Amino acid sequence: MTVTEPASESVAPSGAPVVKVTDTWKLHKLGDEIVRALVNVSLEVHRGEFVCLMGPSGSGKSTLLNIIGGLDRPTKGTVGIAGQDTSRITESQFAALRHDSIGYIFQSYNLIPFLSAVENVELPLMFEPYDRRALRQRAIDLLNLVGLGHRLDHQPAKMSGGEQQRTAIARSLISNPTLILADEPTANLDHRTGEVVVQTLRDLCSKLGVTVVASTHDPAVAEQASRVVRMKDGQIQAE
Amino acid sequence: MLKYGLAYGLLSSRRRAREMLLPAITIATGAFLVVIVFATSAGVRKQAAGLGHTDEIGHAIVLIAVTVLLVGVVEAAVATTRTIVGRTRELGVLGATGVRSRPVLVALLVEPFVTALVGALGGAVIAAVVGTVLGATGAAASGVSAGGTVTGALIAVAVSLVAAVVTSVVPVWRAVNRPPVKSLSSN
Repeated sequence: MTVTEPASESVAPSGAPVVKVTDTWKLHKLGDEIVRALVNVSLEVHRGEFVCLMGPSGSGKSTLLNIIGGLDRPTKGTVGIAGQDTSRITESQFAALRHDSIGYIFQSYNLIPFLSAVENVELPLMFEPYDRRALRQRAIDLLNLVGLGHRLDHQPAKMSGGEQQRTAIARSLISNPTLILADEPTANLDHRTGEVVVQTLRDLCSKLGVTVVASTHDPAVAEQASRVVRMKDGQIQAE
Repeated sequence: MLKYGLAYGLLSSRRRAREMLLPAITIATGAFLVVIVFATSAGVRKQAAGLGHTDEIGHAIVLIAVTVLLVGVVEAAVATTRTIVGRTRELGVLGATGVRSRPVLVALLVEPFVTALVGALGGAVIAAVVGTVLGATGAAASGVSAGGTVTGALIAVAVSLVAAVVTSVVPVWRAVNRPPVKSLSSN
């Protein structure tokens, strides 16, 4: 199967960065202590880039991804997605932006346990007036793409970690996003499956101009990236 | 889009039937008590009239009925709230994948509604059967009235449905309108 062109490509004005994080801070209150999860982070990611965020646990990689994707809000600073300042939009508007432009891959898969693999892939579009047969076919195509054509009707509990992650990757692609955010996408995969996943992400960037921002500990993933951003203690150390 | 939320809710209710069993039993217990109180209240009032304490016993019956109804409401609320809390992570996933809040609200309200309906109807039917047996065997000295049973069943079902939906709306609405990371990080 071939991955189709991102549907929402037009939302990114040409030349504008797909992601623009400016002077962003994220502070958490932990008891009486203030934890600085992100400290004055600025980052630009352009169309078609495959950017890897590397750093030890607690360095702020996942927090940065969550803030870019609007799963969490910054304490201070601005985040622009495809030229749109997201600091002024509501949760509902951000949900619409995620729906149209962003695919999210979680480290812990976050599949819905009572849905089959193919239904999990359909999930982001399940609440929309799409032709059901076309949607099912697209979900099947995506599962074939990640090598799970034989697991369509399996529920997550009956799949291995690698299979669940590949299902989550297929789900992130269902709405042809322009931006994919991947939090440790290969963390729970064997080496070979991890390579397939990284190659899939790489192909999305190089062939379709999809932008990928991934956090990882895996040097093999970083080797495939067009840019590596190193983080420590909530700050960007070097690129 | 709301009809797709409804479709998802019905699908999840079918697939999660096992998880819905305990909340349904809890609600059925409350409904059972409500129906039994209403079914026997007419007979008790009649007996009270014969003893000359109509008002006092009438008030006591009303008090018991209200108490049992409140127990039913609380049981329905606890059961449905537990269900919603258990699905918080799912709410986070739906939000993270960009699903809009209104269809999610509808989807997540289907299960409490179905649970309350099944539980209340089940409790009412069991109460009606038990009441009929008690009335037929003379075990209930006050007798069991068919009218009271029907009234009790209607009240039990209505109260359970309203309690389940009302107590579910607020937590679901709050969950779908906050950053998804908070729901995703919940256990």
